[in-house]
Amino acid sequence: MLNLELFTPELTLAATAIVVILLDLVIPRKGWLVVVSLAGVVVAAGFTIAMWGGSSQAIFNNMLAVDNFALFFKLLFLAIAALVILASVDYVSKFSRFQGEYYALVLLSALGMMLMAATAELISIYIALELASISLYVLVGFLKDPKSTEASLKYLLLGAVASAVLLFGMALVFGFTGQTQLGEIAQAIQGLSLSGVLDSPGLILGMVLMVAGFGFKIAAIPFHMWVPDVYEGAPTPITAYLSVASKAAGFAIILRVFYSAFGLPSWLSLDWGFIFAVLAAIGMTLGNVIAIPQTNIKRMLGYSSIAQAGYLMVGLAVVGFSPAAEVVGRSSLLFFLASYALTNLGAFTAIIAISNKVDSDLIQDYSGMGRRAPLLALALTLCLISLIGMPPAAGFMAKFYIFSGAVQHGLLWLVVIAVINSVISAYYYLRVVKVMWLGEPASEEKVPSSGALRLALSLSCLGVLLLGVIPGYIMKLAEMAAKMFAF
Amino acid sequence: MIGLDIAFWILAVVGVIAALAVVLLGDVFRAALSLVLCFLTVAGIYITLSADFLAAVQILIYVGAISVLIILAIMLTRDVQRGSPSNRLRLPAFLVAILFFGGVAYALLNTTWQVSSTPPLEPTTPAIARLLFSEGGFILPVEIAPILLLAAIIGAIVLVREK
Amino acid sequence: MVGLEHYLILSAVLFSIGLYGALAKRNAIVILMSIELMLNAVNIAMVAFSRYIVPLLLTGQVFVIFIMVVAAAEVAVGLAIIIAIYRHRETIDATKIDLMKW
Repeated sequence: MLNLELFTPELTLAATAIVVILLDLVIPRKGWLVVVSLAGVVVAAGFTIAMWGGSSQAIFNNMLAVDNFALFFKLLFLAIAALVILASVDYVSKFSRFQGEYYALVLLSALGMMLMAATAELISIYIALELASISLYVLVGFLKDPKSTEASLKYLLLGAVASAVLLFGMALVFGFTGQTQLGEIAQAIQGLSLSGVLDSPGLILGMVLMVAGFGFKIAAIPFHMWVPDVYEGAPTPITAYLSVASKAAGFAIILRVFYSAFGLPSWLSLDWGFIFAVLAAIGMTLGNVIAIPQTNIKRMLGYSSIAQAGYLMVGLAVVGFSPAAEVVGRSSLLFFLASYALTNLGAFTAIIAISNKVDSDLIQDYSGMGRRAPLLALALTLCLISLIGMPPAAGFMAKFYIFSGAVQHGLLWLVVIAVINSVISAYYYLRVVKVMWLGEPASEEKVPSSGALRLALSLSCLGVLLLGVIPGYIMKLAEMAAKMFAF
Repeated sequence: MIGLDIAFWILAVVGVIAALAVVLLGDVFRAALSLVLCFLTVAGIYITLSADFLAAVQILIYVGAISVLIILAIMLTRDVQRGSPSNRLRLPAFLVAILFFGGVAYALLNTTWQVSSTPPLEPTTPAIARLLFSEGGFILPVEIAPILLLAAIIGAIVLVREK
Repeated sequence: MVGLEHYLILSAVLFSIGLYGALAKRNAIVILMSIELMLNAVNIAMVAFSRYIVPLLLTGQVFVIFIMVVAAAEVAVGLAIIIAIYRHRETIDATKIDLMKW
């Protein structure tokens, strides 16, 4: 029996997207599109919250898990989508047409990501991932100027190659087990009583190719080539969206697939844990080192997001190294994702507000922003401090949880690399802070910002502070989410 | 059975040659035509695997729709096509492809697949329909697919229409 | 006697050819065609696994149908982007498109 009431958040979002497109045709005042989109997101979030805490269920023939893990991510994506819509208002109101399509595509990609976090079957995972990706390819090219369309083309071509690699991996896993449901794949693997890597090169290869395919989504080295160009070329709100939502969706799907399908036997999970540990070490180092000489703040944050993906993969390594029953690795990963999402959204919202006025993404043009727009500069400073991982911001607690988990599971070497990297990263983040507060302003003109932007910015900054000062509550939610895997 | 074997080898050889032509030919239009040939041989391969419905779908979607789209795009941008040159990464790309093939072939040949000796189901169409649309089937992806197509249609319109 | 391994190796050969094309070609349309080759290679592997591992279930064939749906959507969006670029730049050479580094 289909329990459609468990599918209401997704249905609401899909309906909202269609309503927004149709409304765009008939109403002259485009402001309503924002209101309707936000209303849809809020209603979907309401349905999601109503399901929170219940027992784990699966609908659609066990293809869609409705557990706290999925609900946690659904709420995260809805929150991100709402903030991105708010941050887009100014940007989109300049478009002469296709405003409704913009919001609809943001909603549809959020729908794809919500499905990614919940699907527990390879075919559904693939098609949910493609729903999110195709909407994002279009959104990246939405400006239709040369930079934006090129970014979109690069994103699409590399993304399609990554999907093909992912599919090859899925084909091998399907061939090895004869199953596409994650739970049944896990049973089949455990039933075969394999003793090691050499026993099952087909399975290992399938797993590695799936890491590669998903690695593209989370911008892990060496599948990161698209990041700086796409971040620079895309409309800034979409850059913010890509940098947090697409990454969180990638981590959600990796956690579910690897934890529930390849979690046992333990040599298998040690294998992928080790793969992620190596990718983490390389990713952090390369991302941070290349970020140092960047002059464009969007590019700099692009490389910084590659480095942040590295820290997040430390969390994946911990999940691989820890026994399956332990939740600490997974819950600290969820906490890091939430804190990273708020932080990066805040930083990008501040950038949108500033570049609306100065019409440039170059770091040197941020000179003297502390005097021209003290509140914006303060918010950006807070977010950059959080990205470094310094108290009192959320980034500090997030890193603290992940790194202490890593130390407990014998990944001290990785933590040492990560801490050195955090110090390196402080250099380029603080350079922006220095330019803003100590540099000479190019003009005395104030930088105005709209109400929607200020709302989005204050919400994200509030979140960053709350997660940094009283992390216990969100951590408890993350622990609940991490415990309740349906499979 | 011997007929199937001969068919497989002919289709496989023609398909690989056509695929090589796609990436090696200097003329985009000829590359697109070899791609069509390759799609056709893949349809033939499906028939040797007793996937009759898929063979028909392959011809409809790949040979029909996708090839026509690609050829249309080539003709629309024809005046700027300067053939199909390789970039500077030709050698590294070749090495990556060879290494990839070596690794995959090693893994494929050294794995014990749980091959079943049951003869395949034929005809496949009613069984696929049941799998796609009945309860206990793949109803979730069937529901996501139209949303994906909607996103793609909106996206293509937005990108192609003039500002 | 042709068996599962033959189909898998054929699939690996086609996938590698497509991978080479996707990495080595400049023309964006040819890169898209190479990606289609890779997807067809995956489809062959899926159908072969479906035929030999679970001959009565057809799961792999259903998977292939969805891959085809997505491939068609991706090609449509990809060609739309290529045409949008062509309008501005009058080139679709992926390395000529060098406002930003590749």
